[in-house]
This record gives sequence, C-alpha cells and structure tokens, in this order.
Amino acid sequence: MNTIDIKINERSLKVLPGITILQACRDNGIDILTMCHLKGLSDVGACRLCLVEIEGINKLLSACTTRVASNMVIRTDTEKIKRYQRITTELFFAERNHVCSVCVANGNCELQELGYKVGMDHIRYPFLFPECKVDTSHQYFVMDHNRCIMCTRCVRACSEVEGAFNWDVKNRGFQVRVISDFDTPWGESITCTSCGKCLQACPTGALWSKDVVQGQLEKHPEMITELVEKRKLLLT
Amino acid sequence: MNRQEFKDLVIAETEKTKNSTCKHKICICCGAGCISSGSEAVMKKLQEEIIERGLQSEVEIIPTGCMGPCNQGPLMKYLPENSIYQKVDCSNISQIVQSQVIEKKPIEHLLLFADSRERPFSNADEDPFFSKQLKIVLKNCGQLNPERIEDYLVHEGYRALDKALFEMSPEDVIAEIKQSRMRGRGGAGYPTGLKWETVYKYVNDQKYVICNGDEGDPGAFMDRSVLEGNPHRVLEGMAIGGYAVGASKGYAYIRGEYPLAIKRFEAAIKQAKKMGLLGPNILGSNFSFDVEVRIGAGAFVCGEETALIASIEGKRGTPRPRPPFPAESGLWGKPTLINNVETFAGIAPIINNGGEWYSEIGTPKSAGTKVFALAGKINYSGLIEVPMGTSLREIVFDIGGGIQGGGEFKAAQTGGPSGGCIPAEHLDVKMDYEALVNLGSIMGSGGLIVMDQSSDMVDVARFFMEFCMDESCGKCVPCRVGTKMMHDLLQKICDNNASRIDLERLEELAVYVKEASLCGLGGSAPNPLLSTLRHFRNEYETRIGKYEEKHIEVPQTSEV
Repeated sequence: MNTIDIKINERSLKVLPGITILQACRDNGIDILTMCHLKGLSDVGACRLCLVEIEGINKLLSACTTRVASNMVIRTDTEKIKRYQRITTELFFAERNHVCSVCVANGNCELQELGYKVGMDHIRYPFLFPECKVDTSHQYFVMDHNRCIMCTRCVRACSEVEGAFNWDVKNRGFQVRVISDFDTPWGESITCTSCGKCLQACPTGALWSKDVVQGQLEKHPEMITELVEKRKLLLT
Repeated sequence: MNRQEFKDLVIAETEKTKNSTCKHKICICCGAGCISSGSEAVMKKLQEEIIERGLQSEVEIIPTGCMGPCNQGPLMKYLPENSIYQKVDCSNISQIVQSQVIEKKPIEHLLLFADSRERPFSNADEDPFFSKQLKIVLKNCGQLNPERIEDYLVHEGYRALDKALFEMSPEDVIAEIKQSRMRGRGGAGYPTGLKWETVYKYVNDQKYVICNGDEGDPGAFMDRSVLEGNPHRVLEGMAIGGYAVGASKGYAYIRGEYPLAIKRFEAAIKQAKKMGLLGPNILGSNFSFDVEVRIGAGAFVCGEETALIASIEGKRGTPRPRPPFPAESGLWGKPTLINNVETFAGIAPIINNGGEWYSEIGTPKSAGTKVFALAGKINYSGLIEVPMGTSLREIVFDIGGGIQGGGEFKAAQTGGPSGGCIPAEHLDVKMDYEALVNLGSIMGSGGLIVMDQSSDMVDVARFFMEFCMDESCGKCVPCRVGTKMMHDLLQKICDNNASRIDLERLEELAVYVKEASLCGLGGSAPNPLLSTLRHFRNEYETRIGKYEEKHIEVPQTSEV
C-alpha cells in the first residue's frame, strides 16, 4: 500500500495518506490528548487539546482535523503545547462544577484522567460555577449539565450513529448547553430511543444511568467505535 | 436580453439622461443614517414644494445612497453645482428651493459644515472632507438611485460584466485581478486574485460564490452603506467572480439588522434578472449565474467564513477548523469563493480600468483604496474612502475635522473587536495592512473609532472583551472559557481590585486564546487587550497600584 513519509517528534514514520495527524500518532503509539475526539464520530476540533506544531505553518492546528501530507514535520510535545494543554485543562475544570469526589464518574472519567496526565495540581482561575440544571426526567438516564464540558460527543453519537437527533446545542459563549429536542425535558423527548449511546460517548459524569451510584459509573466509549467499524464491514 | 440589446439600452438610457429637461437635480441621501434623521420626510416635503411651484419638468429628485458625512444628516445635494446642505429640515425646504433653484444662490449658513468651518464650500468636492478622498468603491454612492438599475447602467453599470463575458476568458479576469494586487477587504487582506485562482483550479461541476455582508463590528457600517447605496455594483462583482471561478450560483449573506440593505439588494437582483444580467445565459453568453440572499440571524461569529457557510447550509452557525479552506471544500462541500461586500464592489472598476491602474493606487503591499467608517469623538463622522497609505493624521484631522470640542486625540481603534488601538505617537502611520499589524492592530473591515482623553483604555479593552465573550459561539474551550476569564479579570482591573498576579494571568491567557482558538474570533479577541497593554500599559499599572496601596502593607523602616 502507498505510504507517505512524515516526522512526528523527530521520529520518521511511514503513514497512510489521507489519515489525520491524530490517527498517525495513535497508530504509532504517540500519546496525544483529546476530549472531543472519539473514533467513529466526525471530528470537530473543539477541545483544542490535540493542537500540534507543524513546520512551515505559523498556526497551531488540531491533530484530529488536520490530514497528514508528504514530508510533514510535526511536533506534539513542545513546551508551548504542554503549557496550553495545562491551561485548557484548568479552564475545563474552572468552567462548571467538576468536584470529582461527589461524581458518579469518579475513577472512570476522561476529564479526571486528563487532569492527572497534564499534572494539574491546582487551578489558577476562579471557578465560574454557572447555574446548571440536572435533568432527571428520563426513565433510565440523567443529564447533569454541571459535569458537561461541551465536547458534543453525545450530540454526534446521537445523530451520526443512532440517527435519532435528540441532542443539540443551544445558546452561545459560556452559556452553551446541550439540549434535548427543542430544549424540553429529556423524559419528554419524542426523538430519544433510549439507546444509551450518548452515555457511552460522554467522557465525564454528565450523562449517566440511574442504576449507578457515586464512583460506580463505567463507560465504554470504544463501543461507539466498534459499532461504527462493524457497520462499515457490513456495508462493504 | 442579448449583448447588442444591452448596448442599445445603455445608449438609450444615456441619451435620455442627457436630453432630460431637468436642469436641476436634487439628491437626497436615503441611506439608513439619513433616513433615521428624517430624510424621507424631507424628500416628501421637497416633492410637494416642487409640485407647488410647478417645477416638475425642471427639477429631478433622486433618492440616493450614503453621501459620507453621516452625522450631518439629513443631507441634500444640489447638482450640477454640487452644493451639499446639511441637517436639512422640512422648514428649510422652501428657502432652499427659492434661493438655490430659482435664484441660483447657495444659502451659506445651511451648507455642509457651515457651523464648523469659517467659510463652507459651495462646491462640496473642494471641502477637505471630500478632496482628500478617492472614491472607487463608493464612486456612485450618493449619485444614483440604488433602486433603479437604469441609473447604474448610465454610470458604467454592468459594463465590466459585459467586458469580462465577451472579451475576456476566466483566466484573463483572474490575471487582471492578480495584477491589480487587490487584497480582501473583509479584514485579513488575503490577495483576492490568488483566492480566485485557487477556487478556479479546483475542478468541480458545482462551485459557489458567497458575498459576506455580515458586518458585525461595533461602529462599522461600510458594507451596509455599499449595499444600500449601490447594490448593483456588488451584484456585478459577484457575477464576474462567478464567471472567473466557474460558479453558477451565488449567495449574499446579509445580516438581519440591515433591512434596508436587504430590501435594496433583493430589488437589485430582481431588476438584474429581468434585464438578463443575472440568470441563465447572461447577455446571450454561455454563462449562467443566479444570486440569492440569505439573512443572518444576529450572530457576530457568522461573519467568519466557515460559520457563515454552516449558517447558509441551515446548520448552527459555528466555525470549523481550516484546512480544508472554503476554496477547496466550502458550501455543501463544494469549492466556494467567499469575499466581502467591499471586495466585490471593487471588482468592476478593476475590469473596466485594468489591474495596472488599480495597482498604482495605494502602497506597494496594499493597493487600491479602503473604505472606513469614521466614528467616535470626531467632528465629522461618516463614511470615507481613501487610498491605502493615507496617514491616520490626515484621516482624523483633515477629513474628520479633528476631535470634538477641541479635545486631544488619544487613540484610534481599528478593526473592531479583532483590532487594536493606535496611540497619538503613531498618528503618522500610513494606513495599510502591514503597518497596522506592526502596531499590534489590524486593518479589519474598516471600522475606525476615534477616542479622546476621556476614554479609559482599560475600559475600552473590557468593552471589546465583553463583546467577544458574548459573541463567542462556545464551540472551542479557549474562546468560550478564555474570553469569559479575561473579561472577568479586566473587570477586576477596572474595579481597582486586581493584583499584579491577575495581570500576569491575563497576559498569559491572552496569548493562549490568540494561538489556541479554533477560529478568527477567538484568535483575535485578545487583540484590543494586547494592544492597549502595549501602548497604554501605564493605565493598567495605575489601577494595580491602587489595589496594592489598599491591600499590601509596605513595611515601615524601623529603627534597629
């Protein structure tokens, strides 16, 4: 198969043309942080954790949305990138209520893991703690907006994999919220199929099932990936 | 209508104008600015007056687009003498008609700038406000009735489209635009010819042209005035763009806050279609081009090209990362040419007069003219067009007539919430893309807000940050949370409640948001902050000093 040469962090690699930089990193065991990317869903480049430096381009580009090109020289580990990852993480934690000790996802949370990975020992920004609702109207599931980081993985899983289009986003700026249908209680949704894919896609304790208690939530986002891959096989 | 019929029509219309019995023409500014100060009532009164005096066959009344000195409205221009009357009131009409039309004597104390100049000019073109300007984009604004295509035809209208379609290949058109060295007037200044060529090179059976009229900077009204004053010029530019890149469909995205611009632009499309200047086989050629208006729903971020495209597609107006650029994958994934209103309005003169002519105007790196919307603490605010490289001093003092109330110039803010402030020591800067970037500001789309000593620069930075915070789409973290954090820190500084650590944090965040954000909104949101920090750091320091005075105890030297 045709491959192209690229360089990531001084390592010369042969990769398939047309894949994203993020894919190239993952295929070659190079760690790259991300919150909004979930393999199988479309990429939006929203969390800005996967920013990389590319030689000859004076902007930082998101690895999940940028495709490799021949002889691309990429760096994922510069001081600047690490510093920015740390700031992004702190901003995530400062934006809404992310008190791990009382969260269902404690110990099973991608955001918590991110905090450990970037070595966040304290947060330099004031906690904004906006007023957020907890929607418990659904028969089986809960949406806790306090834990939501607006990665929109649930929105994409619902529309792209389940095809239900229950989730969407309202408002703008730091007032953005994920909404069910036209901003009605989730339990009243006429589109939700109660499939639970959004729960699996969610990286934090924002979406969870009513049968778990604090610290007990297990998530399997890879389920979404597997489902998409298997469907692709069926189609070919 | 085929080409010959078009030519005949132009000749007929021109003859009609020449042979008109009307020796006097009175233009009344019907731009949104003058309408809001009552120009429609003035026009009605004038019409009644003319009928009363039985002068219908001698005097033609033309409702026009913006004439320029907006804060002196309602404006009324008398041709051929070119005398402009300011702040015209229904009670003045009879006097003006009597004196100017019948006795041929201008009324000095009602002329433009009569209240501030020692002697007003009876020919407005001699006034420094106009004599320092060079109008290319705005040439016919304030001269013709924007709601009549025939008026535009008499003023060289659609001549460039005709020339492009029948005398030039798409490659020739692109070469001409490249030679003109024109740069995109939306703010970033990307070479227009290069953009056109890129779209042209992508092979696809469907391409699109988009005109970005989602002007949202506070204090900016260039695009609105062009769309209101000469919508056909924009339409012609779009059609030429479509021909050059191989697109058959265009969209004009105009913000919903501009109802008059939308109305006039839609009327222009209808008229052009009726004459065969838009639609299938334009003027009998093989080229077909259709334009539709899309109305923006009030999000500033929809001025960002990828968000604008999402909005046209009917999606939530949020940007997406580039690459791929719209030239490769734009509207519905097709190659798309997207330019600003002012860019399209500048195309026809380039095709008519040649790229070389245009490239000789302005500075070596920024050719042509730029429309600015002068606002703030300036005597004559309004819409102006000057060659690139005109100094800020000339714009503020010669054209704008200096600072209101004889105050002292403190700074000029360019580029709106994405730009920065230029302090008094740089008044002699030659305004072009590079010079402004070097000063930590940007050209932007042309908003120019003048500030005097009463402006508090920290508060200015806070204001623009608040704007960006409210207008952030909320998609990416740096912009969504970063602008909120920066705003809160700026508010803290304004309240004399911030320490040195807060300032350090603010500076770090500013650079982070600038570099890490997904789109241009976040990428430029820290600019007003960074530029005021650069030029007016002392104002920040003073406020932090006030905090330290209150909260940090300085140890007293004590006897040992």
